[in-house]
Amino acid sequence: MAGAVIENLSGRKLACLCSVLLVALLVCFLLGGLVAPEPSSSQNILGTICLDHEREPDRWFQVWSVIGSEKMCDKADKVDDLMDTGISSEQVVFAFQMPLRRGAVLDFTRWQQNLIGVLQLDIDHDSQYEMVPNATLALDVRLGYKNKEDKTEDWTLLAASVEERHLICDLDSEQSYRYNCDLIPLFELGSLHHDYYLLNLRLPPNMENQRNVGIGKLVDINLVAIFQNGGFTKVWVSLKTIFFPLVVVLLVWFWRRVQALQREPALIECMLFSLGICLSVLNLPLEFLTLRFDMPYMLLITDIRQGVFYAVLLSFWLVFAGEHLMVSEDCDRNRLAAYWKHLSAVACGCISLFIFDMCERGVQLTNPFYSIWGTRVGTNLALSFIIMAGVSASLYFCFLSWMIWRVFCNINVKRHSLPAMSSVRRLHYEGIIYRFKFLMLATLTCAAMTVIGFILGQVAEGQWKWDDEISLNYTSAILTGVYGMWNVYTMAVICLYAPSHKRWPTAAAAGGVAQLDSQSEEIEFSRLAPANDEPSDLTSLTQFVRKAATD
Amino acid sequence: MTRAPAAWAGLCLLAVAWSLTHADASRSSGKGSKWWGVIHLADDTSKAEDPTLSNDLRSNRMRGAYPGYPLDPISSLRKKQRRLARENQGVIGAVARGTRAAVTECQHQFRNRRWNCPTQERMRGRRLFGRIVNIACRETAFLYAMTSASVTHHVSRACAEGSVRSCSCGYSGRQPSGPDWQWGGCSDNIQFGYRFSRRFVDASERGRDMRYMMNIHNNEAGRRAVSGQMQRQCKCHGMSGSCTVKTCWMRLPTLREVGDNLKAEFDGATHVRVPNTIQNSRRSRRRRRRYNFQLQPLKPHHKPPTRNDLVYYEDSPDFCTKNQRLGFGGTVGRLCNDTSSGVDGCELMCCGRGYHTQVKEVLEHCECTFKWCCDVKCKVCRTRKVEHRCL
Repeated sequence: MAGAVIENLSGRKLACLCSVLLVALLVCFLLGGLVAPEPSSSQNILGTICLDHEREPDRWFQVWSVIGSEKMCDKADKVDDLMDTGISSEQVVFAFQMPLRRGAVLDFTRWQQNLIGVLQLDIDHDSQYEMVPNATLALDVRLGYKNKEDKTEDWTLLAASVEERHLICDLDSEQSYRYNCDLIPLFELGSLHHDYYLLNLRLPPNMENQRNVGIGKLVDINLVAIFQNGGFTKVWVSLKTIFFPLVVVLLVWFWRRVQALQREPALIECMLFSLGICLSVLNLPLEFLTLRFDMPYMLLITDIRQGVFYAVLLSFWLVFAGEHLMVSEDCDRNRLAAYWKHLSAVACGCISLFIFDMCERGVQLTNPFYSIWGTRVGTNLALSFIIMAGVSASLYFCFLSWMIWRVFCNINVKRHSLPAMSSVRRLHYEGIIYRFKFLMLATLTCAAMTVIGFILGQVAEGQWKWDDEISLNYTSAILTGVYGMWNVYTMAVICLYAPSHKRWPTAAAAGGVAQLDSQSEEIEFSRLAPANDEPSDLTSLTQFVRKAATD
Repeated sequence: MTRAPAAWAGLCLLAVAWSLTHADASRSSGKGSKWWGVIHLADDTSKAEDPTLSNDLRSNRMRGAYPGYPLDPISSLRKKQRRLARENQGVIGAVARGTRAAVTECQHQFRNRRWNCPTQERMRGRRLFGRIVNIACRETAFLYAMTSASVTHHVSRACAEGSVRSCSCGYSGRQPSGPDWQWGGCSDNIQFGYRFSRRFVDASERGRDMRYMMNIHNNEAGRRAVSGQMQRQCKCHGMSGSCTVKTCWMRLPTLREVGDNLKAEFDGATHVRVPNTIQNSRRSRRRRRRYNFQLQPLKPHHKPPTRNDLVYYEDSPDFCTKNQRLGFGGTVGRLCNDTSSGVDGCELMCCGRGYHTQVKEVLEHCECTFKWCCDVKCKVCRTRKVEHRCL
């Protein structure tokens, strides 16, 4: 009969394995902190006011020439300069060219992965031009692109749309000079495939449906272009490329061990296997393909990959706790159906998040300017999905904490009966309980570290310094550290919960283990006689619990 | 009786000699503001991409861009400033706009004070605000801080517009290279504005006397007024839009907010002590230590000035009467507020000379409606106004 590796591993080996994994984790953390730059950068682009004298809606208005010497638009310095000049608002085009030129004209690289545009309106507070509360903007936007090797002079249209956004502004005090307006999400591009981008934005007022009316004295529009840093993508992808084969090899080893058993694979083994598969899918460095192909669905795919991994991880914890629940009468615990109540919380949360994601990023595949937050109905829908996910998450954590609490209670109860047992037996049980607790502790540590890391990340970011010479890049370190941590965690769980091939006493005698500590190994390998008879499909901890329950 | 005139003559000679040396000293002390002359640079940067910035001033086509201005505005720049302007194409237009905005802002902030920031259009560089800058008083402190702040503000803005070519990725004097940008992105526009202003504005300060330290300190205070009022804004864009990944940036304050802040600093400016020996101890220090000095308040129980405080060490003139030398026209004919007891009140504004009151009927725009972008419709209202003017 084979137990899990964790039960048959000597303390020294366990320590070795743990320290190797911890070193790997530290390497991940330092790789993010020392090598990688910030995960993402932003460029704050001030809109150039271009004048469309001939009223050509299909013309591109560019601020500076990118290749060759194309025509630049006719600029106006300030909106104030246009007052009472006969220029109508349809003729005013805000042009944003990305990326900003710095010395040489810079261009985007495909390593920068994605581009997010956020608008920030500067509206002066002027008692003559008061703002109407709850004004709605209608943004007439056109996004075009151009590549270095393009033969054509003009920009190519990527997307055009008229989008509605709510303008939510407030004043700090009556004396302040500028309204505090909420940021307006404008577009999200899942792939940064081209070199240069150009955004033309108009705000034509429409008296009939009250669009762009009563927006106050709009003086400037800033576009904040956010993109992933190329260096971060490189470090991230190399992490994935390293982890992917490791996890796959481990997974093959694990499954071959499971197959080598006489029995059907246990539920927890199936869960482990699917967890490994999900991690491999997450690790699969698909990003390499974006360097060659235009894949606007990458953001969506990344979300789905992460979501599926976390869903399986959450389900695994439930099953893991349930399998050690030591209630002897629950003989059908070995089926996933036994956990339907608990798993439905996970499923519900994940599905609502998936629907939300599809509504936002799915639609953005066809129209990058789309935002579910743009309309009232959409906002309510999005909020309801998010609230549903939140409720499911809290429900899940209640279930999980309750189950873990029961496991620990049962273990404590059983522990009281330990002194009555023989010493060999007792040591064996204590070892198993210790290692179970050890893994629980590891899980909790990982979860806590993730949460603390992100919270610290938010706090540390809050300080803005000018001449900051800190060499450790905290945000990247947290991201790579957390990513590495869950990889390491999953690999550790797959390793330690793989069925052991050691057979007592022959395995110990046959070598593979140092003879010196054979005494302690013998104790650890000892099996209960009844358990040896039946081809059990459970780990020996549950066997022990069952045995104890029948005692 | 014969001795007395001789003694008088001796005294007079001494006085003349003293005033001459004093005048010399004060002339050199206002030198730092010479770059203000770029205000006369024609604002045609939007059309002409590269203003001529050659060291050969005579061939400069900028001459005559400002009608009536005799000299090329670029000539008011130091060699280092000219090099900076050459290295950062398009930046000089932003500096000129910044200086103009500083003048407007100064006049707004001081509209209710006796000294109302008068400028002399045809004066060069340091004479822009008259010879008030030769006195190390509060007003001078404000002028230095305000111009420095405004340059920071406008260069940052020009960066965001893309009109300055070289807003670099982490300003270190070198041109940004493609691989750097692709690896880690570029630093913030505001950071560039701050650093550029620090190099450009402070480049005009030379020597290590008290005035130098005062100017450097006030320039820095101006820049800090901009950077201290920036707002931090963030956007979450992690998984499904969650905050696991967050990008933050800084938003520039309006120049009016910066002006308000500096005006508050002006009101609470620190009168600093002139130490006896600065020269010897400081001269040996290296350039890096340029900003590494601590000024001491005149009154020992006051707190030493922080980096944000304005400092001065000479008292302001009372600005009551016309002073041609300072380029100040006096308060005669200025509007005042008869109900206020502050500096804008008639009592203080007119220096006790009294005022006359006039009732006027004026036509004003009122009840304006504004349609974005460029349509303002106003009614014309006739209002009665009571005006008090200083005698």
